[in-house]
This record gives sequence, structure tokens and C-alpha cells, in this order.
Amino acid sequence: MSTSKFTDSRLAQAALDRRTFVRGAVATALLAPLGGALAGCAVPSGGGGGAATGGAVSADNPFGLASDAEVEAVIFNGGYGFDYVEFAAGEAGKLFPEATFEVAPSTQIAQELQPRFVGGTPPDLVDNSGAGAIGFNTIADQLEELDDVFEANNYEGTRIADTLYPGVQDTGTYNGRFVALNYVMTLYAVWYSASLFEENGWAPPATWQEAIDLGAEAKKADKKLFVWGKEAATYYQTMALDSAIKSGGDEVRLALENLEPNAWSQDAMQETLTALEEIVAKGYFVPGGAGTQFTAAQARWSNDQDALLYPSGGWIENEMKDATAEGFEMTGFPTPATSDSPALGLEAVRAGSGEPFIVPSQAKNPAGGKEILRAMLSTAAATHFSETKLAPTIVKGTVPADGFGSTALAAQTAMLDAAGENTFNYQFVDYYGMNPDQLVVWNEFLSGGLDAKGLTQGLQRISDDIAADDSVEKIEVS
Amino acid sequence: MSSPRTSSSPATAAPPSGASPASGRRRRRRLSFDRLSFFAVALLLPLAVYVVFVISPFAQAVYFAMTDWTGFTPEMAFVGLDNFTRLLGDDKFLRALANSVLLALVVPAVTVVLALAVASMVTVGGPTTGGVRGIRGAGFYRVISFFPYCVPAIVVGLVWAQVYDPARGLLNGILVGLGFEGMADFPWLGDPRTAMAASMFVIVWSFVGFYTVLFVAAIKGVPAEIYEAARIDGAGRFRTAVSITVPLIRDNVRTAWIYLGIAAIDCFVYMQAMNPGGGPGYATFVISQDLYQTAFTKGQFGYATAMGVVLAAVTLLFAGLVFLVDRLTGGAGDEGRRA
Repeated sequence: MSTSKFTDSRLAQAALDRRTFVRGAVATALLAPLGGALAGCAVPSGGGGGAATGGAVSADNPFGLASDAEVEAVIFNGGYGFDYVEFAAGEAGKLFPEATFEVAPSTQIAQELQPRFVGGTPPDLVDNSGAGAIGFNTIADQLEELDDVFEANNYEGTRIADTLYPGVQDTGTYNGRFVALNYVMTLYAVWYSASLFEENGWAPPATWQEAIDLGAEAKKADKKLFVWGKEAATYYQTMALDSAIKSGGDEVRLALENLEPNAWSQDAMQETLTALEEIVAKGYFVPGGAGTQFTAAQARWSNDQDALLYPSGGWIENEMKDATAEGFEMTGFPTPATSDSPALGLEAVRAGSGEPFIVPSQAKNPAGGKEILRAMLSTAAATHFSETKLAPTIVKGTVPADGFGSTALAAQTAMLDAAGENTFNYQFVDYYGMNPDQLVVWNEFLSGGLDAKGLTQGLQRISDDIAADDSVEKIEVS
Repeated sequence: MSSPRTSSSPATAAPPSGASPASGRRRRRRLSFDRLSFFAVALLLPLAVYVVFVISPFAQAVYFAMTDWTGFTPEMAFVGLDNFTRLLGDDKFLRALANSVLLALVVPAVTVVLALAVASMVTVGGPTTGGVRGIRGAGFYRVISFFPYCVPAIVVGLVWAQVYDPARGLLNGILVGLGFEGMADFPWLGDPRTAMAASMFVIVWSFVGFYTVLFVAAIKGVPAEIYEAARIDGAGRFRTAVSITVPLIRDNVRTAWIYLGIAAIDCFVYMQAMNPGGGPGYATFVISQDLYQTAFTKGQFGYATAMGVVLAAVTLLFAGLVFLVDRLTGGAGDEGRRA
């Protein structure tokens, strides 16, 4: 090695540059894709948690919350915000003046809390909702049973279970354990502008035939019947499921929920899908939905009034508050049936409670989480929620007949009352996380790229794949 | 590899000018506090950070990929290579893989060509008389072309999703205004024929500016005499770009190609902003989206991590291929050119 020092260092430099670069490229290459997976890579050994020293259990303190407890709640900050939990925490604070109640918002529940669940330090109360919610099949075993919340008295002194709508407990029961308290009563219906209908002498359709006739009327007025957006194409699946279940009865629902083979080929389901196929084929849908953001699509209904009807949950009024035409008078009617004598009656609606609140067993202060729930289920907090969010809670009798001036809220209460015991609900779509896959098929169908047969095949395959996947824990529904 | 120097001054720090006159071999120096602390700060610390934050997560990820971890408990069972065999039969994943490969092929190529064209025009593509310079208003174009890069990717995605809106979008508005009535209500992101191309366009649009600036800097480093000589020899703008510019800034092009490829293979933000569901018939569904859905919606972190490992392998393979192609097409490696 007798090269001059100069060349030597130049060479070394060049080699170094290249290596550094390769290494840089390799590191970046590895880092980029794994970023997501790495977020949860620190897996400490479990444990942690453990109940804090409790206070004495009494009628005023049914869960034995220590007087100086620190309670932490993480609330999904979506359409309903999180201030209503702060309100309830404030109410609880009046009973426990020395305890601190901290209410934090989050829009990505699963991403934010995943490390805390793994680490054994989850918060005391979680509103596990929104697109980033944690799948219940993964955490159901780690949650406190909430039966004692229902047995406790509310802040007005009434047993909480006696103040609620029926079926609330079923919605939050996984494998026989009641672990999720769904706070908001959500009614699924088809929504329209009462003023527009009155102006034109239209009536809300009770059957698919009437809906198709209404589509023809709409066409004369240069309007469409329905509109959809790409992220919400499965609202039409909800509508189809609701229609099939109310027309064919509970066995239709059970077959679907238990992922039975050919569940999507049941008669009532097929009649509904064929009717929808006809509506699509006749061009009664505003075209281009597969490329339209869903709130923009919804605005074409609520603001531009290009479409007459929109199927959705009761949150729609709140969601479109800023994009609703003046004097719209948003009102709902039960999902159309396949005939005028459906199995569950024309008034039957899907009514389920949503916004599942959970209390992780490993939390420091599960009693604190339950105490906030007790506050939320008390009349003051429930009324406050309905009044500010224009949505009913699971607590009965907190919405006055005028719906605090909201036509949609009044319509929901009226539909719930008319349905009486004829309400139903199902959760298999959320439970198995099927929505992303179903969206793709539904977008294709509503665009006209698939017929009812193709749609059925696509949906059945999604169901069959999950049924055949041993790694997915199944829930038996009866 | 080297013998210790017999030193006569044990207490003093090694002199900085201690280059041996006779041999090029390195000699070991005294481990003084200075040197030790330097090693600790400059070598051990970064190495420790690298090991803790890069190597160990990789190792863990590979392990998680072989478990059935749901992501929300500390418990998991080892399942060997099951997750990987399952990936082979997962239609949705294979579709995502194919889309990612397509993106890795198209996006870097288009972006590099466009960025090179713009960079050439604003540096050497100007009038053919006088000194070698860019076209009139070059500075203006340079600034303009960089704008998209200043906008965060998520914003780019959301804005373009609105531009592509069938009814209210700018694009269809312009097309209909120009007389293309058939384009009214055409869902650019909702039609399987156009969704991928439309998405690629957005990604390219957002990257071109940055790589233009990169190439401009590189071209500025090429002596102007070379361009003058080429012009005197009668080379036109295209010939100059292909025969002079590209070979002389080859390193930069390769670097750009790799980084663009990595971005294109990932491109989670763009796709999630424009088509969170994966597009019509999964036309724009990419591996990172599948990974995200599998982990956070379906609670299958083990399986999702396996996807991450495959994604890492694909990315490495891509980087390796680019180097290989570069070598085979005459890029003799840096040493050769620099010596």
C-alpha cells in the first residue's frame, strides 16, 4: 500500500459515502413499512393495574370508590364530542369532591390505547367508538362486567335498570358477559325532508314497490331517489339488512349473525337486493358515489336536495347540521319492507345502542369508571346529552315531545314508541370488522358494476372467509 | 490487524499529526479519556440508539410475525410460518402487493422523468445564444414546482379527493366547461379504470417539485463548459439532457429513484386520504393499508406484522434491484468515476 495519503483518503471517503448511502437506504426502507407494526412492539410482561385501595361500599357509593381516587376516562371525540362525559364527571365530582376526574378526548382509540392495554395500564373508562375503535373480539375478556352499574341507583335514587330502553344489555354482552355499556340510542331509518315531500305531495314509501314508484316521481322532478358516498356505501347494506330482517323475521338475522352458509341468499334478503338492483338499474341513484366523499354526498341530499332519501342512523341531523337547507325539516321513516305485511310489522325498526363505554379490568380505578357511568345514566346528565347532541340516550323519558325543537329527534322518539317491542339489532358487521371489505362490494354494486347476484356472492364470501378462519373467535347469537 | 506502537510518552494524548511516514497501516493509540469519551459519544451512543430503536424492533417484529398476537394482550402463541403461508393464499393481500409493485414501477419512473425535464429546462434549457442558462422565468417555475412539496401529504390527498369529486370537483367542472358533457359525474377515484392512474398522478404531482430542486442542484454542479461544448457540437436540448445531464448526475437520479420507490411502495397517507376503503374493487389498495386494517380493525397484529415483514422485504428487494440495474447499465460504482 504505497498510494499517497491523498488518494487513500479519497477512496475511503468514496467507499464510505456509498456504504452510508446504502445503509441509509436500507434503514429507511425497513423503517418506513414497519413503522406501523413497530408502534406496538414494546411488549412488557403484563400485570400492573390492580385495584387501588377502595372506599366503603354504600348506597351512595355502590362501587366503593376511594374518596381521593384519581379517575381517568378516554372518550372518543367524534360526532358527539366528549364534553357530555365531562359534564357527567362534574356531576360525579359533586359526590366525590376530593376525587379527581380527568376526561381526555381521542379520535384513534385503538392506536392510542393499544400499548396501554398491552402494558396493563389502561384508563378507567373508555368510549370505544369511531372508525379506530378496538375490535371487541380482541378485548372482551379484559373488561369488567357492568351488571352492578345497572343494579345501582342513579343520582336521583332510582334503580338504573328500571330507567332504560329494553335490549341495552344484549348489545353490550359478549360471550355471556355484559361488558360494554352503549350509551346512545341509535335508530336506523330512512330520512327525508318533510317540507319537500309536502310541497310535492309525496309520501314516504313503506315497501320497495312504493320506493320504486317514488323514484319515478322524483325523476319527473329532475331528482334522484338516493345518493351515496364511497366511505358510506354500506349504509345501503344496513338498510338492506334492516329490510330483510323486518320482512323475514328473526331467523333471517340469526343466519346472518352466525355466518351461516348462504345466509345472504335467504328469500327476504334476495327480494330486498333485487329491489335495490332495480333502483340502481333505473338510474335512481345520483351517479358517481364511488368517487364522492360521503359528507359531500350527504350534502347533495340535505343541502342541494338532488336526492329525496338517505338511509342512516339518527346521528345524521347532527352530522349535517351545517349543510342542511333552510326549512328542511329532517324526518325519518322505518326502512321499507318487501311486502306490506312484513314479519315484524311495518313499524319495526333497527334500534341499537351505540357508543360502547368499557371499564378495563386492569385499570387502576375500575370503580371510578363505573361511577362516571352512573353519573351519565342519571337523569340530569342524560337530559343534558339529548338536549345538546339532539340524540336520545338509553335512558327513557328524557326527550320531550318536541324533541328540543329538532324534527329528527322527535321523529326518532315517535318511531321508537310506535315500534314498541318490535325493535331489533345486530352487530356481526362491527364485531368481525367486515365493513372495509363490504364497502368495496357495495360501491361496485351501487355503481352498477355488479348485479344482485354478484353482490350476494361477494358478501357471502366475506362471511364465509371469516367463518372458516379459526383464528377469529366467533360469537354465537341466539 | 495492526501492532501496538511502542510508545515513549504514555501520559500524553495521541498527537493528531501522528501519521507514520513509512507505512499506511494504522497504529493503535493510547486509550486516553479523550479518545474514550469520543468513542462513547460518536460511536457507542449512536450504536446503542440504533440497536435499541432500530435493530431490536426489527427482531421483535419478525418474532411477532410468527405469533397469533391480537395486539391488546401481552399473551401470544408462536405459530411459526403460518402467517406467511396464509399471506400466500390471501387474495386481498396479493392484490395489495400487486398494486404496490405497480406503484413502485410507475411512480419513480414518471416522477424522475418529469423532474429531470423541468430541472433541465430551468437550468440549461434556455435560449441557444449567449451563456448556458434556463428558460425565461426559470426562477419562477422553480419556486412554483416546489409548492406541492410544502403541503403535507395528508392535505394533498384530501384536496385532490375534492378535486376529483364527481359532481362538485374542479376537474369535472373544467372538463364539462370545455364541452366534455360525458364527464359530468364521472367518479375518477370510484371507477376501477381510472382510480389507480388518478391516485398515481397525485403522488407524482406532490413529489415532482422536490426532485426538481434536487436535480437542479445537481445540474448546477456540472461545469457549464461541458454544456457549451455540447451545444457547439450541435446537441439539441433533448440530446443534451440524455447524453450530458443524465450521465453526469447519475448518482442523484439513482438516489431519487430509490427514495421515490420507497415512498410509492408505502404511500399509505395518499391512498388512505383518497380512498380509505382501497378503491373500487381494491384498485388502489396497498400493503400498508391492508396492514393497518388487519391490525387495528381486525385485531390481528401477528398477521399484520407478517405483512409488514413482507413489505420490508419488498422494499429491500426494490432498493437492491435499483442498484443492480444501475450497475448493469454502466453505473460503474462511485469509486470508478471518482478516482
